[in-house]
Amino acid sequence: MLTAGIWIGTAIAQDALLLPQFPALLSDITAPAIDRGIRDLDPPRTPRDGSFVRVVDDIGGDERFVDGTIIVRFRPGTTPDARRAMLSQVDGATTPALPYASFDLVAIDPAADPERAAQRLDAQPDVEYAQARYRVYPSFVPNDPLYARQWNYPAIDMERAWDINPGAMPSITVAVLDSGVAFRSGVFGFNARAFRLAANAPAFPALGFISIPFAAAPDLWGVDRFVAPRDFIWDTDTPLDLDGHGTHVSGTIGQLTNNGVGVAGMAFNVRIMPVKVVSGDWDFIFNSPFQGTDDVVARGIRYAVDNGARVLNLSIGRTGSPAPVVRAAIASAVSRGVFVVVAAGNAFERGNDVERLAEFAPEIDGMVAVGAIGRDQRRAYYSNTGPYVELVAPGGNSRVGGRDGTILQQTFDFDLVETYLSGPGQYEAPRFDSFAYEFMQGTSMAAPHVAGFAALLMQQGITSPAAIEAIMKRYATDLGPVGPDDEYGYGLINPRASLRGLGLAR
Amino acid sequence: MSTIRASGTHDGPVLCSAGRQARTDGDRREPRLDFRAFVSPWLAAVCVAAVLLAAPAAAQTRDFTLRGFGDIGWTTFTAEKSFSAVLGSDTGRVLGGGVEALLPRRLFVNLRASRFREVGQRVFLFNGEQFDLGIPTTITVTPIELTGGYRFDFGWRLVPYGGAGLGGYRYEETSRFAEASENVSERFTGYHVVGGVEVRLAQWIGAAAETQWATVPDALGNEPNSVSHEFGESGLGGVTFRLKVVVGR
Repeated sequence: MLTAGIWIGTAIAQDALLLPQFPALLSDITAPAIDRGIRDLDPPRTPRDGSFVRVVDDIGGDERFVDGTIIVRFRPGTTPDARRAMLSQVDGATTPALPYASFDLVAIDPAADPERAAQRLDAQPDVEYAQARYRVYPSFVPNDPLYARQWNYPAIDMERAWDINPGAMPSITVAVLDSGVAFRSGVFGFNARAFRLAANAPAFPALGFISIPFAAAPDLWGVDRFVAPRDFIWDTDTPLDLDGHGTHVSGTIGQLTNNGVGVAGMAFNVRIMPVKVVSGDWDFIFNSPFQGTDDVVARGIRYAVDNGARVLNLSIGRTGSPAPVVRAAIASAVSRGVFVVVAAGNAFERGNDVERLAEFAPEIDGMVAVGAIGRDQRRAYYSNTGPYVELVAPGGNSRVGGRDGTILQQTFDFDLVETYLSGPGQYEAPRFDSFAYEFMQGTSMAAPHVAGFAALLMQQGITSPAAIEAIMKRYATDLGPVGPDDEYGYGLINPRASLRGLGLAR
Repeated sequence: MSTIRASGTHDGPVLCSAGRQARTDGDRREPRLDFRAFVSPWLAAVCVAAVLLAAPAAAQTRDFTLRGFGDIGWTTFTAEKSFSAVLGSDTGRVLGGGVEALLPRRLFVNLRASRFREVGQRVFLFNGEQFDLGIPTTITVTPIELTGGYRFDFGWRLVPYGGAGLGGYRYEETSRFAEASENVSERFTGYHVVGGVEVRLAQWIGAAAETQWATVPDALGNEPNSVSHEFGESGLGGVTFRLKVVVGR
């Protein structure tokens, strides 16, 4: 009998020098992508549960953050000696500088409590902020993936909005900071280690080195469609989506439309910049060198801005302690003319804890936090409430209309991705070249509606992030109590009215 | 021998013409009158004024005259920020025309219709910054105005006049992609005063230049989502300078 200690790899290489050689590109040539369509005659598959990262290790500790390092930003002018003196209080030492990071990663004793260490440093006058490296997760609430209907666009009057602005133009780039995007074809090699789904659950065997086919999502891919891809989980330029979340989100932003295939997207002519900043189950199984933590997200934001993105979509988030490093990155992005959309979180029925990547949206003009509604135009059961919710968009609500009440987009055929859900006996290597139209729900699905909407507004001529936020709020359809409220913010986005703007008298 | 004098007389001012004596053979030839010797700059000025001020016979003798006119003008709108934002300028060309009755006691009344029409684009305003949205929008203002006034017609060729009146102003705003209910077509009442000067160019043709100030209160700014509301501008009136061609005696 194999023990968990043998099966589960626990050390996560965070230093660039320890990066593994994966994913290894084995071939650029693959068979065409498989499009399995809407699959609404299939029997219902096992729905994904509510947790994005289901793979757990048994090393103990706190799953909320990464042990052994914390994030610190010193105030400008702090001398190296002063830094060393402060870091000595937590037995810390800076690690080599990372690209796209305006902060330091400080190595501390792996057994030490990162939160306490961060608090001690945060109290120092020469420290602008210090925080633990909290893990960040996609915001969607998984759903049974069957049936096809896109009710979400009529719900926000998109047909008439497209009359005014048919899908923006390729001059607008929307960065999708997510689990990656199915943006290219190829065969890649990974090393699949052993794991288990829960501490006492059956162990899944190591598959060793495996070749996995990838393909670009057929209803998303186009010539020059993807720009400046970047993977901060594997530290490569191939942000392969090993989950499907980022591909689904990208579909809502820019799924090819009016092409006689599949479904529609909000701003279907924009370019998409895949920036992988969160890790999925397979990233863990393949032992990715980085995980989705605040610092990785902050670097991803900086990268996207540096490489020309005009709109950022973050259908990711976490609860717990504040995220000053992400806040600083977003504030910087907005100051450079980039509009930022963040999902408001799906934790309403789990205590409605504050969504830390969204909570500061009201303080930054040019950043919005987006809640979700169902097709009944009421707040979805999972959608967080709070003063930081500024707008709502269709995110789906399976309790109102079942699967048809959620959001349909093309992504991977989950039957061929989540091969571990059937147990160790049927567990096999995944494949990422087979696509289907899948239903999902969550504020993750709501946010890309707003990101696509922002791209349309930019194309229409509203180039200031603060002005985009202002016009979105101005024309939002008020829901719930009259005026802004914690459930719906300013209300449901109204792209058509916003794109029309103001006339002289009406 | 008799001296034949010129039989004709001149009805007009004598200083501008010289009588001439007819001669018969044998008469002694007298020196010709030197015109330039009589014409000083003062005399020339008075002469020009007399010509210009010479009243047309009709103006002096008729009690009622009906005539028509057409005009071209330029209106600077009171809602200057709103018009500038949408149309790119607060001033635009206006074409009009109407009929006018000259009444006894130098009174007149006229009815005039005109139209202002310009194409601009819808915009968004935020923190003092304007974002043009590229959606064509057409603004049409069609006033129908009734004006009564007094002509300072004292037999001069130049006739100053002034008046006041009221009008109905149709305001129309149409945009591409708009539903019918989203376009605007409304009528408002306005008031105006006008003053100008007319000169007769020929027996049936005259010309005039006039300036009009009009107010059309509460016509704009009622819709919260409008440029005029943003700027707090509610009046549709403005100042118009126009040139008229009058046909009639």
